Amino acid sequence: MTDLRLEAVTKEFGRTAALREVSLDVANGEFFTLVGPSGCGKTTTLRLIAGLTEPTGGRVVFGDRDMDGVPPEDRNIGIVFQNYALFPHMSVAENVAYGLRFRDPPGGESTAERVADLLELVDLDGMADRDPEELSGGQQQRVALARAIAPGPELLLLDEPMSALDARLRERLRLTVREIQQELGITTVYVTHDQAEALAISDRIAVLNDGRVEQVGTPESVYRTPASRFVASFVGDNNLFEVDSCRETEAGFVATAGAIEIRTPEFVPAGSLLAVRPEAMHLGADDTVLEPSVETVEFLGDAYKLHCRLAGRELVVKTEASPEGERPTIGFPADAVRVIPR
Amino acid sequence: MGRRVLPVRLSGSPTARGPSGDSLLPLVAVATGVVLLVVFYYPVGTVLMDAIGADGRPTAGIVLGILGSEFYFGAAAGLFSDPTAVPAGLLGWVRAGFPPVDFGLFGFTVYQAVLSTIAAVALGLPGAYLLARFSFPGRATIRSLTMLPFVLPSIMVAIGFVAMFGQQGLLNDILGALGLGSVSIMYTLEIIVLAHAFYNAPLVTRIVTASWESLDERMVETARSLGAGPVRSFLDVVLPQLLPAVLTGALLSFLFTFMSFPIVLALGGLQLATVEVWLYARVQQLELAEAAGLAVVETAITLALTYAYVRYESGEGALASLGRGPSRDPFFADLTDPRRLGLIAYGLVVLVVFLGPLVSMVVESLSGPSGFTTQYYGFLLERQLSGAAFQIKPFEAIRNSLAFGLGTLLVALPMGVTVAVLTTRRFVGSRAADALLMAPLAVSGIVVGLGLLQGLVFGTDIFGQRLTVTGPVAIVAAHAVAAYPFVTRAVAPLLRSVDPRLVESARVLGASRGRARFDVELPLVVPGIIAGAALAFAISVGEFDSTVILAEGSASFTMPVAVERYLGNRTLGPATAMGTVLLVVTAASFIVIDRVGGWWEP
Repeated sequence: MTDLRLEAVTKEFGRTAALREVSLDVANGEFFTLVGPSGCGKTTTLRLIAGLTEPTGGRVVFGDRDMDGVPPEDRNIGIVFQNYALFPHMSVAENVAYGLRFRDPPGGESTAERVADLLELVDLDGMADRDPEELSGGQQQRVALARAIAPGPELLLLDEPMSALDARLRERLRLTVREIQQELGITTVYVTHDQAEALAISDRIAVLNDGRVEQVGTPESVYRTPASRFVASFVGDNNLFEVDSCRETEAGFVATAGAIEIRTPEFVPAGSLLAVRPEAMHLGADDTVLEPSVETVEFLGDAYKLHCRLAGRELVVKTEASPEGERPTIGFPADAVRVIPR
Repeated sequence: MGRRVLPVRLSGSPTARGPSGDSLLPLVAVATGVVLLVVFYYPVGTVLMDAIGADGRPTAGIVLGILGSEFYFGAAAGLFSDPTAVPAGLLGWVRAGFPPVDFGLFGFTVYQAVLSTIAAVALGLPGAYLLARFSFPGRATIRSLTMLPFVLPSIMVAIGFVAMFGQQGLLNDILGALGLGSVSIMYTLEIIVLAHAFYNAPLVTRIVTASWESLDERMVETARSLGAGPVRSFLDVVLPQLLPAVLTGALLSFLFTFMSFPIVLALGGLQLATVEVWLYARVQQLELAEAAGLAVVETAITLALTYAYVRYESGEGALASLGRGPSRDPFFADLTDPRRLGLIAYGLVVLVVFLGPLVSMVVESLSGPSGFTTQYYGFLLERQLSGAAFQIKPFEAIRNSLAFGLGTLLVALPMGVTVAVLTTRRFVGSRAADALLMAPLAVSGIVVGLGLLQGLVFGTDIFGQRLTVTGPVAIVAAHAVAAYPFVTRAVAPLLRSVDPRLVESARVLGASRGRARFDVELPLVVPGIIAGAALAFAISVGEFDSTVILAEGSASFTMPVAVERYLGNRTLGPATAMGTVLLVVTAASFIVIDRVGGWWEP
């Protein structure tokens, strides 16, 4: 088994750079997710790892093996595309068995046994002779997954495999993917634009924006301590305040952002960003007290989401109870404030 | 994609590496280029060079002579012969109150092509409406059949029209039996236009239907929800999006009818000659310099038309949307509906125009002056058994046609597939390569035949070696050149529609580039390859233009040539009998290919 390294990988298409000096380190057996908006370079990164396209600079390394010039068929990987790319002229079983034409099944199994095992693993036993077009989207996705892992690859690459499915199915399937990944212990690189999915499923995530890595870390650390304005606004909801000045008072430090005053746990230099999660706020007073005007209230089942306006800017607040009156008191503690250095 | 079409599964043994298609490709591409150079560009080049380089010296005399000739260009000839007199001439024409102007042979050719195009569009559009908007039993079959007229041997269709509308044709037989006198439209422009519509209306139907079916019905529904009525939403939403398809069909119809040869030859004769027929007549009179000059002018026009078509088509390709096609109403739901009544009337016209000539041909071949007879088939048999050496024997014609058809298939298929692969790749100069590879579509069969005759059959000197090619080889070459663009057109769209991620998935799973092509891409384009084979074979069997030049005075005559030769006799009998044989052989070949492959759905 192997770990995966990208060393200052750059990819230019003509004169536009899709990736600029991206360096990543994926550990053995890790579920690693690349997340970012469309056009951020995440799919390009995946294709570079797969060898479907070659970098214009930097190196892709599997373990201690430089992958430069190694064609995709010799990389021992599995890939699942967004549209699954099942071979329409082959049955489900033939699709799954295709990679076994080139590599022997792991564990000394026969091809037929391996195919049967995998179809059982993805809960599709009995579908072996169907045509891909006869299956539902979720079933096709599982066939694609079985096909990718059939030859026992060292690395599994998933390119937005859920995005064509409806929300509930997506949630169930990502659990399946995660379970199978854990069971096989296979190093997995997962690409998605859905930050909630990335947080839910990954060991670590890398947030990409405009061809650069913004932050790498566990889902918790990325969510709680975003390293940049982009990460703070892309991963989860956030209220961002740009600090004009900061002073020390008897109660502690107070930062000024426009007409708003916010208590902070430490001194914050001017130009820094303060990030406060909507769920860190509540009805009633706290270290910081705001009185925004509520414009819309969304009921989420377990909470309410308030879209408010305060001093000419938007504010999103998540509360347990529905607010009373049009200008409720909203408060949050100083230690709920994340500081993003300039 | 997604239709299951492959009868056999291609499976490889584990760890075996398939043939590497990509290392072969450059080789096949070069071979294709060489074949094209030898059997197309060189021969056609020699014809064109004859016109602009007599005796090794470049001269514009012959071409200018044609451009400035009243016979060829009528009133427009003055533009080339005496440009300074044009303004005065125009003024005189205006003063005289716009009298009708004669634009010579080219003018007439354009005129009949315009009329034929209008007729083809008029006859084709209701068909597209019917196929796109209504469902009825046999709809899919009729949609497939729109491909058929295009590959029917044109000389056979011409005979069919003679059998139906000629002096002793079925129509006059029926009218005579009813005591209604007779009509005489043989050797008139009308019958030529009608026969051209027979050929090109299905093409218009096909192109417009395909475009109509790709329109998203939700656009119409949106227009309706915004307040537009059914007619208004059609005019505002559907029609503008169909217009490119209609224009494409019209442009193709114009191109084909401009170059049309056997139809005009058989139905119009020299009184109604077009450029192509006149070119043939010049060759027969051995006035080769004038023929060459004519070929230059004609080729310039047809190349320009083809270029316009290719440019226009590629520009419109982006418009195709992946929508839900229009919803189809059951046709037989309400037969009092005026739209449906109109379409039923249209159906009767279609029946007469399309089935009439073919039925008439068969009927005429079996009816003599005194009712039913098999004497014309007897004539064919007798000619076979006791014909003189210089006469055309039916069995040899059939054998030649089938052999040339097979030869054409074997040459045109690899060429066409290679060109399809090349045209789906983008590389520097690929657009220019596209144009060069598709040029045979634009050059008349007469010119190709003449070029092959002069350049290869009569022989040519290469490095001091006299190189000659026999008639049959030249005929297969000419047929292959005519056929391979259709193979390409059948294969390229399928090739383009193969999701590149399928090949990428196969590669990630361990297949080499060539193996992935073989395992994944090839099976998905097999229907196109089979359709291409059917087209290539049919085009070869029906080809007349270059064959009649190359088979002149040799034993390489084919069924279409035999049909034309027998037409010279006083009765329709032998020609219709031979035409019927051609129809049977063509239909049988189609059924065979259909059984092997399944019919083409673009």
